[in-house]
Amino acid sequence: MSRLLSTVGAIAIGSLLAAPAATTAWAQETVTVGAIEILSGPSAAYGTAIKGGLELALDEINAAGGVLGGKKIALIIEDSAGNKDQAVNAARKLVGRDKVPVVIGPTLSNEMFAVGPVTNERKVVTVGTSTTAKGITEIGPFIFRTSLPESDVVPVTLKTAKDKFGVKKIAMMYANDDAFSKSGFDSMKAAAEQLGFEIATIETFGSKDSDFSAQLTKIKGLNVDAITISALVEPISGVVLQARQLGIPASVRFIGGNGANSPKLGEIAGGAADGLLVGSPWFIAKKGETNEKFVADYKKRNGKDPDQFAAQAYDTMYIVAKAIDTAGAADSDKIREALYKTDFNGVMGPFSFTQGRDPASNEGVVVLAMKNGRFEILE
Amino acid sequence: MAEWLDDFLFTYENLVHALGVHGLLALSMYCVMAVGQLSLGQAAFMGIGAYTGALLTLNLGLPFWLVLPLSALAPALVALVIGGPTLRLSGVYLAISTIALGEVLRVLYINAEWLTGGALGLSGIPRKADLWLIYLLLLIGVVAFWAVGRSKIGRAMEAMREDEAVAGVMGVNLPRYKLGALIVSSMIAGLAGCLSSHSNSFIGPNEYGFEMAVTILSFALLGGIGTPVAPVIGAIILTALPEVLRPLQDFRLVFNGLIIVIAVLFLPRGVIPFRLRRAP
Amino acid sequence: MLSQQLVNGLVLGSTYALFALGFTLIFGVLRVINLTYGFYFSIGAFVALTAARSFGANIWVALPLGAIAAGLVAVVADWILLTRLRRAKAGELSSLMVTLGAVLALYSLMAVFIGTDIQRFPFGFVDNSAIEFSGIRISLVQMLIIGTTLVLVALLFVLLQRTKLGLMIRALAENEDAARLMGINVGLTVAAVSFLSGMLGGAAGVLIGLNFNAIQPFMGEHMMLRGFAVIIIGGLGDIRGALIAGVLLGVLEVLTAGYISSNAKEAVAFTILVLTLWFRPVGLFGRAQAKRA
Repeated sequence: MSRLLSTVGAIAIGSLLAAPAATTAWAQETVTVGAIEILSGPSAAYGTAIKGGLELALDEINAAGGVLGGKKIALIIEDSAGNKDQAVNAARKLVGRDKVPVVIGPTLSNEMFAVGPVTNERKVVTVGTSTTAKGITEIGPFIFRTSLPESDVVPVTLKTAKDKFGVKKIAMMYANDDAFSKSGFDSMKAAAEQLGFEIATIETFGSKDSDFSAQLTKIKGLNVDAITISALVEPISGVVLQARQLGIPASVRFIGGNGANSPKLGEIAGGAADGLLVGSPWFIAKKGETNEKFVADYKKRNGKDPDQFAAQAYDTMYIVAKAIDTAGAADSDKIREALYKTDFNGVMGPFSFTQGRDPASNEGVVVLAMKNGRFEILE
Repeated sequence: MAEWLDDFLFTYENLVHALGVHGLLALSMYCVMAVGQLSLGQAAFMGIGAYTGALLTLNLGLPFWLVLPLSALAPALVALVIGGPTLRLSGVYLAISTIALGEVLRVLYINAEWLTGGALGLSGIPRKADLWLIYLLLLIGVVAFWAVGRSKIGRAMEAMREDEAVAGVMGVNLPRYKLGALIVSSMIAGLAGCLSSHSNSFIGPNEYGFEMAVTILSFALLGGIGTPVAPVIGAIILTALPEVLRPLQDFRLVFNGLIIVIAVLFLPRGVIPFRLRRAP
Repeated sequence: MLSQQLVNGLVLGSTYALFALGFTLIFGVLRVINLTYGFYFSIGAFVALTAARSFGANIWVALPLGAIAAGLVAVVADWILLTRLRRAKAGELSSLMVTLGAVLALYSLMAVFIGTDIQRFPFGFVDNSAIEFSGIRISLVQMLIIGTTLVLVALLFVLLQRTKLGLMIRALAENEDAARLMGINVGLTVAAVSFLSGMLGGAAGVLIGLNFNAIQPFMGEHMMLRGFAVIIIGGLGDIRGALIAGVLLGVLEVLTAGYISSNAKEAVAFTILVLTLWFRPVGLFGRAQAKRA
């Protein structure tokens, strides 16, 4: 009786505090996986792309017979709105109420730093698909990521700039007030030092700033070969535009971090961004049957072209499904063991995890260059 | 403990923590508004408490019972520096200088990278803020304000709120009351900050800005400041609401803003309009 | 390089001054820190942007359209939010709070409908070429901003000092009750001041949006923090003070970033603001009681 009462109470309070969870009546035939993504607010574009990639892969997996000999995967996607607290609340709901063995996401590194400790403590496998900051997988033994950290991508870009364009002397710029930009800059600086670049100056700005004239005038006087920049796409667009306006010649290339890898850059900066180099783990026109099929199917399903976030999410869903199959049960510990043995070839290229739970290889990285406001593969 | 209860607590632990911490923040706002002032620096004071607490725990490994009071002391010192000169001016100046305080601190957290981790913030803060502790402090706060509100001091505060000039003429030492209220409020906000950083495991420099300040203000305006319980109830409503009304998501800030407008224009005493009875 | 940096500072400072004019005008006359002002800035830019996109309006059409639309929004906002408080003589803090809530709701509402992605005026909307003389570059848009700021300050002075409306506004700024007794239509004068300040804010939004190519709903909020600094440093309600303080702040920020450290740029405005509040709360150029409009 008391058990019944308390269950009723829990359900009553539960439904008062959150939208009712997916019913567990069909839990026998399905394996439930959770995801936490930004589906509303200023950064919703990222989460929406990820959701599109996850769901496309999910449909394909379930149509092909699911996992564990015929069980379908059910995906519960929670919205974090880009807010750390809501991301944690979502993680606690997925773990505490829906009892998922695997959480995919959250979208931002900042959110992962808050969510990771919670899921790790409960020994629930957590796989980030878009978290590129340093230290993510060091949160704990249950935290994985399929996104290449910036420290694997940026050296490729810088090396290309050095070998192909003879870049030696650089100025470095970054937004110093958000974790993504700062962490990207740290990787850039380490790579630049390793490659023996001469760093003429390091200039910062705020991610909401709109005037960069002081920093760029200073850089103009230093006669550098290239300018590296780590920030979100909005300030990068402004920096690039103002640099050309101040008379920094087009021969001084910009070299961007992950944030520059966005079609928005061409939209805002137009021709001013031409020549900008960026490394990307994936490119829409990448050759190969798997990728061409993915791009076509994604477009059919979501009505627009996929971006790198969708591609990473698509591969991740497959990687997780395979790990569940290999584990032989929807059990977090076993799935964790299975993930270590991942050997997968998806749209991003061949994939496996290191012992540190990061992607093992950056062979799939391609360097893109801006031309007439669009990214093209650098030949 | 029964497994379901364990899972249930796990699911809502963060929310229950947040309710208590926001209750304390509302109380700190109440404390300033009770003397007729407006501070938009409660979020900044909270941030000082959060960073102080986190740094003392992470770098010096001090025990939590020592960290907590020190986290209340640090913002009090800042309040003294900010409040001293501005409280003699019209209330608008305090409001603006507290906004400035939030920005100056943000720049400081970002640049003092060796200490605060810069934009990356501080992570791996151990979870030491027990639920009972948060709610005990909240209870003590409410009871203390209740007692003060019914005393002679409370009457002076109410007089200031209604008409500052008259209160001054009647012999209320205005600057002293204003500064006292600001300092006490900063201490409560500092406690709340320390408790939140020790239940969240991660803090960053952009969490204590203008948006948080406005959210804290809306707690107090929704609840009203007739009694110390009212702003706490305001905080509970506004904290639980986004969880209840998930579809409201996009409109959350619109909603917060409208609450402030409606409260100021039509409900100057909040949704809990009762006032404290005076001690005989 | 120093001369280029000074030009950069002058341009940046002009954007601050341009933004602050209407903001300080509202305070000077109506004794209100009206935070919805930041929204006039955003809405002005968006109306002009929409005009440019939907029927190819050029800058000389889009700019007044944005300004007038913002002016109308300002009149309505003031009427809804502040009439009641003014009648009850509710004081500065209530007005500050109500406009704070309103502006948050307005920005967020705008964000819900048009998103927070940055947008820009179409390529080729204005001639974005730059003039170069003895190593200094300045674009036409930047010269337009400096020019507009100076012209608007001059126009405001003429309006306030030489016209009947100006006389009414100054009387209202001095003392509302006295103005009413002198037969001045206070409601109409308040509306006129709101409209003027809204237009100033809207025009600033268009020009600054044009210069920085970063138009989004919250652009006014980011500008507001600098706006606070400028109107306090210049003296609340002091138009000439706002002009000087704006330019001064812009130059100081640029020089700090150029010669000390770009890390310190963000802190300049608020450091000067706090120092002003401590040592000279009436503003750098204010009299003991800053009552001038």
